[in-house]
Amino acid sequence: MAKSRARKTVVLGMLGTTLDNGQGPHRWARWRPTVALCQQEDLLVHRLELLHPPNATSLAATLVGDIRQVSPETEVRGRVLDIRNPWDLEETYGALLDYVRGYAFNPEAEDYLVHITTGTHIAQICMFLLVESRLIPGKLVQVSPDPRDRAGAGTHTLIDLDLSQYDTLAARFRQEQREGLAFLKSGIDTRNAAFNRLIERIEQVAVQSRAPLLITGPTGAGKSQLARRIYALKKSRRGVAGPFVDLNCATLRGDGAMSALFGHVKGAFTGALSDRPGLLRQANGGVLFLDEIGELGADEQAMLLRALEDKRFLPVGADREVESDFQLIAGTNRDLQVEVERGRFREDLLARINLWTFRLPALRERPEDIPPNLLFELDQSSEAVGTRVTMNKEAQERFLDFATSTEARWAGNFRDLNAAVLRMATLAVGGRITRDVVDEELERLREQWRPSGAKAAVVAGDLVAEVLGENLASELDRFDRVQLADVLSVCRASRSLSDAGRVLFAQSRAQKKSVNDADRLKKYLARFGLTWADVSGRGA
Amino acid sequence: MVRIDGSLGEGGGQVLRTSLALSLVTGKPFTIQNIRAGRKKPGLLRQHLTSVKAAEAVGAAEVSGAELGSRELTFRPSALAAGNYHFAVGTAGSATLVLQTVLPALLLAEGPSTLMLEGGTHNPMAPPFDFLQRAYLPLVRRMGPSVEATLERAGFFPAGGGRFRVDVRPAPLKPLHLLERGRVVRRDLKAVIAMIPFDVAQRELGTAGAALKWRPDELRTEELKRPLGPGNVLVAEVESEHVTEVFTGFGERGKRAEAVAGQVAEEVKRYLDADVPVGEHLCDQLLLLMALAKGGVFRTLPLDGHAETQLQTIAQFLDVKVEVREVSREVREVEVRA
Repeated sequence: MAKSRARKTVVLGMLGTTLDNGQGPHRWARWRPTVALCQQEDLLVHRLELLHPPNATSLAATLVGDIRQVSPETEVRGRVLDIRNPWDLEETYGALLDYVRGYAFNPEAEDYLVHITTGTHIAQICMFLLVESRLIPGKLVQVSPDPRDRAGAGTHTLIDLDLSQYDTLAARFRQEQREGLAFLKSGIDTRNAAFNRLIERIEQVAVQSRAPLLITGPTGAGKSQLARRIYALKKSRRGVAGPFVDLNCATLRGDGAMSALFGHVKGAFTGALSDRPGLLRQANGGVLFLDEIGELGADEQAMLLRALEDKRFLPVGADREVESDFQLIAGTNRDLQVEVERGRFREDLLARINLWTFRLPALRERPEDIPPNLLFELDQSSEAVGTRVTMNKEAQERFLDFATSTEARWAGNFRDLNAAVLRMATLAVGGRITRDVVDEELERLREQWRPSGAKAAVVAGDLVAEVLGENLASELDRFDRVQLADVLSVCRASRSLSDAGRVLFAQSRAQKKSVNDADRLKKYLARFGLTWADVSGRGA
Repeated sequence: MVRIDGSLGEGGGQVLRTSLALSLVTGKPFTIQNIRAGRKKPGLLRQHLTSVKAAEAVGAAEVSGAELGSRELTFRPSALAAGNYHFAVGTAGSATLVLQTVLPALLLAEGPSTLMLEGGTHNPMAPPFDFLQRAYLPLVRRMGPSVEATLERAGFFPAGGGRFRVDVRPAPLKPLHLLERGRVVRRDLKAVIAMIPFDVAQRELGTAGAALKWRPDELRTEELKRPLGPGNVLVAEVESEHVTEVFTGFGERGKRAEAVAGQVAEEVKRYLDADVPVGEHLCDQLLLLMALAKGGVFRTLPLDGHAETQLQTIAQFLDVKVEVREVSREVREVEVRA
């Protein structure tokens, strides 16, 4: 005989010394929540843990009997909970917490319901807190009487505090979260999965945490932009009331640094003509974004650490500390761990600020996000140049082909993309960016990202063509051309043949192998049919 | 495997209980779907689960879907076991309904049984103990088996706590012929009260007595001693030569005593005027017993939805022919043949 093995339903509830009261036979004419809970046609309580004060033992016994009568399936376990003042939150919560801590929950086999119809409001609040914090792994249950039949069982409602269980609420949360994510991404529909995950995590942390955030990533990756967005998101969710204050630490130098950050009092130093609050105090109740935090000096780092730990610090020249409570967002393109090892950054400060570290990837690392960002930049440029800027399909494809290729280094990340689009928008006749405009821009970008050595090499290569003429130059072996190019560039930079010889044959000269550098150079140039006059560039 | 649609008729718990009873008797397994589909809280409620559990015990059955709120249940009895049983019904639910689920099978079991039933003995929407004892069981005895029911304590909603004992000595069921009720030999109108003002009983008796024109010595008040909770029921009993019928009305909050009495009187009058032996509640139960006896005939009032549902459910388990003939506007003759 196989019996169906359903999960058991266990209720934890306080005896209601008022609502559950009644000893005479007329008690059945009254609605008693704890009894009513066990009389529900569509709820079967397998076990009831009835918590009651020491002086309610006889009432508890009556309830045990009554529940056995109306619900033979229910096992009632009375449990004395000694709370002297059930209106005292601390005492009530403490007693309930002790009880719950000692309770052998078995969520694998049992479903828990916490009955909140009875007990003082304080007890109900405590029960709520215990369920909400998952110290009791269950749901809340409440019974209410039938208004037409006060002696009847009435109805019950299960309240699941896991709000994601409710379809409409869950849909609203998802919507809000999507809005939050889109907001953090400035509405740019990014496709890079890793970047999107990062933004999701930032959204969670930004909304919930007041702890410092550290944003790392290469220059132009959007650290400052993101910090502003995080602030705006927090503000819209009422997570912050104060202002957004930002500072690039690389701009701080010398004595002014301390005063700019922490403020000073009048007369603290020459030129301190009046009190200055400093940025930390301005950011009170808000968000302070310190970009390039790795550039902060040792004194500033020490003071900042104190301000973060104690929310207090000493302005320059002051003899009393001031308070400021702000959330710090730090930005850096340096590896602060390396800076710590080199002794340039305080280890304890790093430990403070990298509770949440988010590394913004370089634009190069997420090529699939270049198209949506291009559209975004076009919109931005439209505003900047005052006309609607468009890019036809061909021009767009041409730009994106290059932009997403390995050739495109995007060394300055979004700063480069922004500049490129702004340049194209400015040069676009009638707001239309054509293929020609794109080609011109791509040349500029190639030029801009050329490594400095290679740039010189190309200039030197051009020198060969300039001096020999394209035809002759193209006949040279690469081996010879590179050598000649370097020789020519030295010649261009030298005042005379002898000067150039001394530079070119410096090693031989030092070892006294050869002294006639000028002659050696002259013979070399002659192999290409060149004279000093051809190469000096001075027409001499 | 018999397949039952639980939304049959009024879509209540009766389809389930009749199916359980017939499955126990015939040994045929069944699956029921759309359990109580027509109700505000569909699926199995606690009182239905109690009936399922009782049937499970009596039939050593394998059951799946016996959970609160379940809309589907499969029941496979393996062996009918007579013996001593104790069934307690929660929520002051009707214990007589649980008895009706298991009694037909125990009437036909190998040996005698004793049942102890706890819960509600007088519930609205269920046959009260008085009906069981005075109307139903005498007819069962006439068909063969010996059954006695003893009330130990009445139990009303919401306190419950009622208790009665039923002793069963099985015997084959013989067909029953009940075409005439004969002369009325006794009339009894009883207002039962527990922790309810005495005048409620007086008003009920006054109203119903006047409507029925019964003599004062046929009216009485019964006040329950040491009750477990409040309760009020008005019971009218019509004892005739060949049959006894019982009619009941329940006092409820917000329902005037006169209204309770009026309804009971109306029902009694209709029965008496139609001059039939079987009223509508007895009809449902007789249909089942006669189908098991594979024969019998009785006269009753026009069949209501309950009876129709009962007939449809019986047809799923038993191969019997039931003919319903219209004798007159208010009289039907029901004949059951193998």
